[in-house]
This record gives sequence, C-alpha cells and structure tokens, in this order.
Amino acid sequence: MSVHRETAGYQNQNRSTFHLVLWTFAWTATLAAARFGPELVWDAEQQPVASWAAVAINVLAGIAWIVAFARFLRALDDLWRKVMQDALAVTLGVGWVVGFAYIVTEAAGLVAYDLDIGLFPAVLGVVYMVTVAVGMIRYR
Amino acid sequence: MKNRIADLRAERSWTQADLAQRVGVSRQSINSIETGKFDPSLPVAFRLAALFDLTIEDIFIDDQLRA
Repeated sequence: MSVHRETAGYQNQNRSTFHLVLWTFAWTATLAAARFGPELVWDAEQQPVASWAAVAINVLAGIAWIVAFARFLRALDDLWRKVMQDALAVTLGVGWVVGFAYIVTEAAGLVAYDLDIGLFPAVLGVVYMVTVAVGMIRYR
Repeated sequence: MKNRIADLRAERSWTQADLAQRVGVSRQSINSIETGKFDPSLPVAFRLAALFDLTIEDIFIDDQLRA
C-alpha cells in the first residue's frame, strides 16, 4: 500500500513537473513572439491585430502556467511545498518592498534615470531561485 | 517538536530513504522531521503512526504542551 502510494505520488509529481516545464516553455515562446514578432515577423502598424493576438496568446499561456504551477505545488510533498512557499513569500516581500521603494523615490525625484520595467520580474526570478536554493540547502 | 522516528527507524534497520519510500515523502522530509527542523503534516503523522503501529502521541512529543 505504501509503495503504491509512493509510486502514485511520484507519478503525480512527475506529471505536474512535466506540465509546468511545458507551460513555462510555452509562455516563454509566446512572450518572445509578442515581443519580437512586431519587429521581425509582421508590421505592427499594418497588422495591429497580429500584435494583439500575440499578446492575448501570451496571456492565455501565462494563465495556463499559473494553473500548472499551482498544481505543481499541490503535488509536492510537505517539505518541498514549504520550501517553495517560503521562497514565494520572500519573493513577494522583495517585490513589494523594492517596488514601492522605487515608486516613492521616483515620485520624490530622487531617481535620475528610468529603470527598465523588464528588469523587475527578472530580479524577482533571481530572488525566487536563490531562496529556493537556500531552502534546499537548509533542509538537505 | 521532538520525535522518536530515528529510534523507531533504527530498530527496524531502515534507512531514511527506506522510511521515506514507505511513507511516501522525500528522504529530505524524513531527515528534517528527525532533526526537528520540520514538523510533518497530520496526514504524514498518521501514516508514520500506522507504519510503526503506534499512536501519534507515542511518536511525537510536544515540548510546549509538556512544559
């Protein structure tokens, strides 16, 4: 019975991991299409519908990625779910603190240059990966 | 929260990986539970109790409750 539970658990975890990887690639590919398509594949001024369609497809892939990530978290065992949740909490906290700090410093005229907004999710991605790695080391 | 899992496991000559497989969690989970870094969920606690044929209270000792 325990072996059956273990096998079923790993199968569920492997399946949810596979789906997460799949949707991560799908979201990344559609993001690249939405970002570079108007420059390289179609003319944004002549075909705005194509640009809107690319963005819509990217958002739909993003929603599917969110669902896949939630299922991935549910399939993890208790410890790894805690590691992921701790990492998400730190990432959310850093996002809020750094984000609002930037907003108020910019509003106060303390920032001499505009930061690329694309940098923000990249920083959050790095924070998330680092905190996951810290959790894995802590509970190894 | 303290527990007797390491002793119970040793009595049966099981490795952490053996116990993890029987309970359906990762080896790291068993290690973290044994060292007190992580408290298991109620379903895992019940599975451990059933596996060792004991009650949850026989395996886990709540320090705060006893103090």
